[in-house]
Amino acid sequence: MTVLQPRPRRRRLRATLLVLPALIPVVIVVIGGVGTTVVQSLGLMPLVGSPALSVAAFEGSDDLLGSALLSLGIAVVSTAIAAVVGFFTAVLIISGNWGGRIVGALGAAAVTVPHLVGAASVGLLLSDSGVLARLLGVAPEAWPALVAGPTWFAVIAEYAWKESAFVALIIVGTLATRITSYDETAAVLGAHRSARLRLVLFPLAAPSLLVASTIAFAYTLGSYEVAWLLGKTYPEPLSVMALRLFNSASLTARPEAAAVAVITLLLTGAIIAVAMLGIRRMRAWQ
Amino acid sequence: MLTRTPFRRATNRPARRQIIPALATLAVSALALTACTAPAASTEGPEFSDWAAVHEAAQGQTVKLWMWGGDDQGNAYVDDVLAPAAAEQGVTLERVPIADTKDALNRVFTELQAGRTTDGAVDLVWINGDNFRTGKQANAWLCDWTGLLPNMSAVSETDPLLTKDFGTPVDGCEAPWHKAQFSFVYNSATVPNPPTTIEGILDWAEANPGRFTYPAAPDFTGSAFLREVLYSVSGGHENVPSLYSDEAFAELSPALYERLDQLAPSLWRDGTTYPATSEQLTKLYADGEIDMMMTYGPATLTALVENGTLPETTRVLTVDDGTLGNASFFGIPSISGNIAGAMVVANEALSVEQQLAKADPAVWGQFTVLDVDALSAADRALFDALPRSPVVPSFDVLSRNANPELSAEWVPALDDGWRTRIAARQ
Repeated sequence: MTVLQPRPRRRRLRATLLVLPALIPVVIVVIGGVGTTVVQSLGLMPLVGSPALSVAAFEGSDDLLGSALLSLGIAVVSTAIAAVVGFFTAVLIISGNWGGRIVGALGAAAVTVPHLVGAASVGLLLSDSGVLARLLGVAPEAWPALVAGPTWFAVIAEYAWKESAFVALIIVGTLATRITSYDETAAVLGAHRSARLRLVLFPLAAPSLLVASTIAFAYTLGSYEVAWLLGKTYPEPLSVMALRLFNSASLTARPEAAAVAVITLLLTGAIIAVAMLGIRRMRAWQ
Repeated sequence: MLTRTPFRRATNRPARRQIIPALATLAVSALALTACTAPAASTEGPEFSDWAAVHEAAQGQTVKLWMWGGDDQGNAYVDDVLAPAAAEQGVTLERVPIADTKDALNRVFTELQAGRTTDGAVDLVWINGDNFRTGKQANAWLCDWTGLLPNMSAVSETDPLLTKDFGTPVDGCEAPWHKAQFSFVYNSATVPNPPTTIEGILDWAEANPGRFTYPAAPDFTGSAFLREVLYSVSGGHENVPSLYSDEAFAELSPALYERLDQLAPSLWRDGTTYPATSEQLTKLYADGEIDMMMTYGPATLTALVENGTLPETTRVLTVDDGTLGNASFFGIPSISGNIAGAMVVANEALSVEQQLAKADPAVWGQFTVLDVDALSAADRALFDALPRSPVVPSFDVLSRNANPELSAEWVPALDDGWRTRIAARQ
């Protein structure tokens, strides 16, 4: 048996070169973007004056805790709804009947809609004198405050709608190839629908459900446009606060904006770490 | 027979050998990225000796004008009237629509921070007020260039609206474009007897709960409304020093916030939330949810009524205590790569033809910055012959008792106070 293998050193070099196109953008974004934000939040990149290390930007606002809790609340609720709806949508799509195909097509279409367009549409649909209020003939004063109201209904609805389609498509992607044999075997052995759902479908879908939900959560926590367009003036989520400070007319607000972004990043990082620990303990993953 | 090695992770390799190059990469990238600290930007005037030199250098340049894109008439004027005129002068004008003027400023700042000194993405910005002041503080503007523009001769040198921009001396760092007057707008069908003072407007709002609101600061219009009410509760603009000081703020602002706090329960949605932008305010008015609104750009009202967005019975309310007036300008970032071209555009925009076309309510309806009384009789007649709007009174009527703008330092102070005192109440 002749084995034609490059020498280890050359092989390693080739592997490194192959990885570079993927690695360089990641390094630029992660080190460049996050690094610049951290440096700015520590007062080392001022627009005017000389750089000086300081954590003052992190102490700037009294609203930080309230905003962080609000951001987490919106992200948790909308991700939870998206996970539940997404999972059952995926089950429906996988069932293979014509209803599932329609739902699959709708889900795929929903994923392509940008969040900004989604937010504008939800605003037009749900606002006091929006399409829904007009169709139902409800006066603006009598219509519940869904947009910019105390419940953040429109914001959560937009994220839940968009992210449930995303979650569903990710689950369908992992289940489609392996589900049929397991499902049929379970059926042959006499498992009912609910038993199959609980003992076959859910355990197999769980890892991708968790991964998709984590991605959706991180996105919801970091994105600003939906909450800015459909949210309330006060309190504001972290992302909206960061944007407002970044756009502020006073030059000192930029480090504060960067500090809010760093806090958002740490929150997201912590949640992802917990999710990754969770996924390693799953049977289907191992 | 050839065998392929399956793609799998190499095991038992000393972890150190992988970590060290990775760490080195991180360190080098971090160094490379942080090493470019912002250089001192130059604010020296352009090196052109006369207008002919500017004109020659401008030939073939493409000027990117960053301007707020929320006004369809303004966009159409720039694309269909100003851009062709610039093209005749040999300059291509490209409009870059932005959601907020601060986006342009932030782009310039980011380029400055990244160490870019030439050929920035922004050549010309429609700007005024705190954005101008912030840019000036950061040395982001080109200065001492407006004196070169031939058409500046038709602009009054002593007009206070044009020599100071929200209290910041203009110093040739921006060229005037048009004047604006803060205006209250009401529906004459639902408000048959409109109030005649700012205090009257607030009283009217309290007598008609849910029919009035204002945009949340730091929105430009919402922030101007705070200054209007500050003048009103202080007993007139004379009692508010134009220059900002912590003492003046501590003395005068409590009355403002107390009045707005008292007003809040009578606002739309009981003051628990506010429209985020002036467009959202206009939408509330257009949908009939409120009966009164406000704008710093009354120019756009005529077209909005004509195309049916706003009710036909919409009228501008002139108040006895007068409203804020300001001018807006063109600024050129010092790192622009097309300075000459930008100057040609700014000069062209100041010509009688352009100012006249822009003042026509059917085109844009923006008030001219030219000193009309000093123009030739023929040119003056052209301005006098402009069609009148059924909605917006003439600039003379609108700007009667006009209040001067406060210095730009007041703006963030009042905005921040509003967030903590009024938005956070509940």
